[in-house]
Amino acid sequence: MITLRGVSKTVTSGDRPLTILHSLDLDVPDGQFLAIVGPSGSGKTTLLGLMAGLDAPTTGSIVIGDTDITALDEDRLAVLRGARIGFVFQFFHLVPSLTALENVLIPMELVGRPGARARAIELMREVGLEDRGHHYPSQLSGGEQQRVAIARALANDPPLILADEPTGNLDGANGRHILDLLLSVRRTRRATLVLVTHDSDIAALADARLTLRDGRPVPEATTAGVGAGR
Amino acid sequence: MRFVAAMALREMRASWRRLLFFFLCIALGVGAIVTLRSVIQSVRTVFAGEARGLLGADLVVSSGRPIEGDLATRIDERLAEAGAQVTRTAETATMARAAGQGDGPARMVELKAVSVGFPYYGTLKLEGGAAYSHGLVAGGGALVRPELLAQLGLSRGDRLSIGGRDFTIRGVIDAEPGRRLGAFSLGPRVIIDLADLQQTSLLAVGSRVTFQRLAKVPDARLAALTTTLRDDVKNSFIRVRSYTVTEGDLGEDFARAENYLSLVGLVVVILGGVGVSSVTRVFVQQKIRTIAILKCLGARGGQVLAIYVAQVLALGLLGSVVGVVLALGVVAWIPALLGPALTQGIDVSYRLTPSAVLQGAATGLLVSLLFSLVPLLDVRHVKPSGLLRDEAGGMPRDWVRWAAMVGVGGALVAITMWQAGSARIGGIVAAGFTALAVVLYLAGLGLIRAVRPLSAASWFPLRHAALQLTRPGGQVHLVLLTVGLGTFFILGVRALQNNLVQEVSVDLASDAPDLFLLDIQRDQVDGVMQTLQSRLPAGAVPPRALPVLRARVVGVQGRDLTLEDYEDVRGRGSLAREYTVTYRSGLEPNERIIAGTPWDDTAAPGGEVSIEESIRTRFGIDVGDTIRFDILGRTLSATVTSVRHVEWSDTRAGGFMFVFRPGLLDAAPHGLIAFVRGPAATADRARLLSDLARGYPNVSVIDGREMLAAIAGVVDNVTLAVTVVGGLVVTSGLLILVGAVAMTKFRRVYEAAILKTLGATRRVIATMLLLEYAVLGALAGVLGAAGAGGLTWALSRYAFDMPFRAPTALLLLGVVACGLSVALVGVVSSWDVLQKRPLSTLSGR
Repeated sequence: MITLRGVSKTVTSGDRPLTILHSLDLDVPDGQFLAIVGPSGSGKTTLLGLMAGLDAPTTGSIVIGDTDITALDEDRLAVLRGARIGFVFQFFHLVPSLTALENVLIPMELVGRPGARARAIELMREVGLEDRGHHYPSQLSGGEQQRVAIARALANDPPLILADEPTGNLDGANGRHILDLLLSVRRTRRATLVLVTHDSDIAALADARLTLRDGRPVPEATTAGVGAGR
Repeated sequence: MRFVAAMALREMRASWRRLLFFFLCIALGVGAIVTLRSVIQSVRTVFAGEARGLLGADLVVSSGRPIEGDLATRIDERLAEAGAQVTRTAETATMARAAGQGDGPARMVELKAVSVGFPYYGTLKLEGGAAYSHGLVAGGGALVRPELLAQLGLSRGDRLSIGGRDFTIRGVIDAEPGRRLGAFSLGPRVIIDLADLQQTSLLAVGSRVTFQRLAKVPDARLAALTTTLRDDVKNSFIRVRSYTVTEGDLGEDFARAENYLSLVGLVVVILGGVGVSSVTRVFVQQKIRTIAILKCLGARGGQVLAIYVAQVLALGLLGSVVGVVLALGVVAWIPALLGPALTQGIDVSYRLTPSAVLQGAATGLLVSLLFSLVPLLDVRHVKPSGLLRDEAGGMPRDWVRWAAMVGVGGALVAITMWQAGSARIGGIVAAGFTALAVVLYLAGLGLIRAVRPLSAASWFPLRHAALQLTRPGGQVHLVLLTVGLGTFFILGVRALQNNLVQEVSVDLASDAPDLFLLDIQRDQVDGVMQTLQSRLPAGAVPPRALPVLRARVVGVQGRDLTLEDYEDVRGRGSLAREYTVTYRSGLEPNERIIAGTPWDDTAAPGGEVSIEESIRTRFGIDVGDTIRFDILGRTLSATVTSVRHVEWSDTRAGGFMFVFRPGLLDAAPHGLIAFVRGPAATADRARLLSDLARGYPNVSVIDGREMLAAIAGVVDNVTLAVTVVGGLVVTSGLLILVGAVAMTKFRRVYEAAILKTLGATRRVIATMLLLEYAVLGALAGVLGAAGAGGLTWALSRYAFDMPFRAPTALLLLGVVACGLSVALVGVVSSWDVLQKRPLSTLSGR
């Protein structure tokens, strides 16, 4: 269960404060597929980043399981992400100097997981890239890079997968393939999936939907357990 | 830990090429340190082990005067009481010529007269492997160096005339114990019997002969005997040295040489370090995304920092290993390079020493780590949220960073002190380097400011070259520091050499004297002058003879300074040395009185002396003070009546620190010196020298031309050494330039791709690059040349006391060469920027 209470984010733009996410309450039950939709600049990616502990909220608390991640320092957040969160980016963000297989190995090596290499090979097979493990990111297509990123996100069997427009940088066929992969993973592993997308077709596949506009939820287009924070 | 190691190794696969050049600089510096330390330590080991051999004895008692009288008796008693075996020797420089050849050439030689027992330690090696025994010199025999045979056209069995006596050459010296490493020599060595020396004319009054007693002393008695003898001779001009002191002195000399020379290597390592610092900053900027990804995937800040520190350490270690391998190669090559001349018959086995390797490698590793630490600390501030959106703003500068900077600065000063082996010297070098870096940094700022208006130029390549130079994060400061410093080294020493050579040429071109006659006895003056006159061309400046005596200051009674005895004078450093003094009634053309009053032509009954101005400034002796001199064993007092300024660069009239008023010294036994402008033709000069050696065998003639040639040789060697150092620094600078270009190439390739897409030809881009690097190189050259000009001026003016001639052509050549080299290296290492097709670059982004 992910619980957000009164979560907001204000940044400084020039010399003025700019609230990019207004106070928000949200509950995401375990195993749910939540789609976050909304136009550009509505605060979707900011919300996802806050849930991953990639950034700290200006106000409010975020509890993942029984851990209030807003009370953790940078290093503990990093450890939490490594063990319990898989993150998939729109622009893949593979380490360019490492091969595909080595990219997948990183999270497992960080937690000292035994048999990491065999599992990385298995994950590469799972995403259909078993023969591309020794290739560098620059030698892979966008779709292939995203599949490696998904394999990497799954490396430690995280109960929570966060995906930031994972198909946004891919053509239709590749995008469809990636989405199928994510949904199949979520199903087989019973993981919670929070996915940011522009695509209403993808959003329609979700268990619940949160629509944001100007940093606030749009009630009439939202089916998730949300509320405006105090 | 495994994660850190695995990540560091994987990252290095991609990064080592870009970081390589900086670590090659580290390798060069480490190589220099290890080579210099190893070579000196190798020589030191052999020499320290052969200290007795160098001295030829356990203990040496020496003096510039015959050791006689009560003191001699006491010394001999002490030596006998200690159970010492004693042998006597004497040394002097004099003229030698082939006997029986009326007009044969004469050469100056370093004569050593020995007795039975010499040498107690070490081996006098003779050519052909013959063993030395005193019988070879006893009864009119002489052993000579091979070069003298060649110079005089003699061979073994021929006869040699020295000091009015003939000697038979019975052997040729291959190597001689006691000949100090690199010692300056007035001529080839000749060894004769001490008994025979007494029969020559070389021991006349005022001759410069050093008398020695060499003693072989039981080990247990040596220390006590040395102390007792030193007490005995405290207030005399006798010196007592034991081999243990020589061993210690040698050790200290070598340690000092080793430490100072290693600073050269350290400068190269530090330049490499500056490059490492700069490259690490760019490296971290390029790795921000990777760092954010790692943090996003769960890596802690400390782990990420460790990944990059591990890379720097690994490359630092690699650089150090490469440096040690370089040193191994150079050290193996040294015996062939130096030949046996440097260590004259002593077999030195050159090898890398563990301590040199350890010091070099540790320095390389430490400098790499220290210089990269501050930029690496920035990885702490990389936020994983940067992957979601571009976050503006640079890295915050927190207290940890400032503390690290202070710590790193302190550690670098400590390393410099460690390498210099002295806190003071290390501090001075560190301060000098910092000052230089600040000057070059400010010059860089000046350049950026000066070039900025060009960024509005209408010519496209010029405008963009200016923009590249003035943009933040450019290479201006780095290149100026490294290339500028190297140019400064090379041009500085070349300019100084030019000035020295010109000064010497001017001296030779004028009517300055170039033959110096020493030890002329009073009754020989007229004859010597006649010989000189007869051999000089008509119209030549007539020769002059001056009375000279050797004197030591043994006390001062003055207003500001009181020195009771010679021990007190010794405490004043060079005031205790033996001075050559003269007496005359007037001033020479190169002198003027700056304090006190000149004396008139009349002789004064009381002693009066005029001092050179440096005696006043350095020792605080002034007009009205009384100085006590020891002259030929007698103590004479003289009142200072004037202070003179001497124009030392005007060598026609010579110069003396102490000039006495006629009266006090006229009657004292003394010799004379003469100087004259000798005939220009070699044959005429040889004939003159031969005439003098035949007619006045006790008179030594120093040929100024040969001395100047010898000095020019020394200057050449020093120039070569410093040029090698400068070359190392410039090489490091160019390597750093290549590295800097490689590091920022990703940005340039991208920009060039955009420019090409917008219509810029490769020619335009090449011109941009050429202009940018040529301006940068020329400025580094200008800075180096300005520094070199300043250094030459200061050294000419204050150290060599000679007129400064601006080496304009040389400096201009240096600036042009520097500009061209940097332009060439810059353009060649940017080859990718020109060659890469724009589509592949732009689609890769």
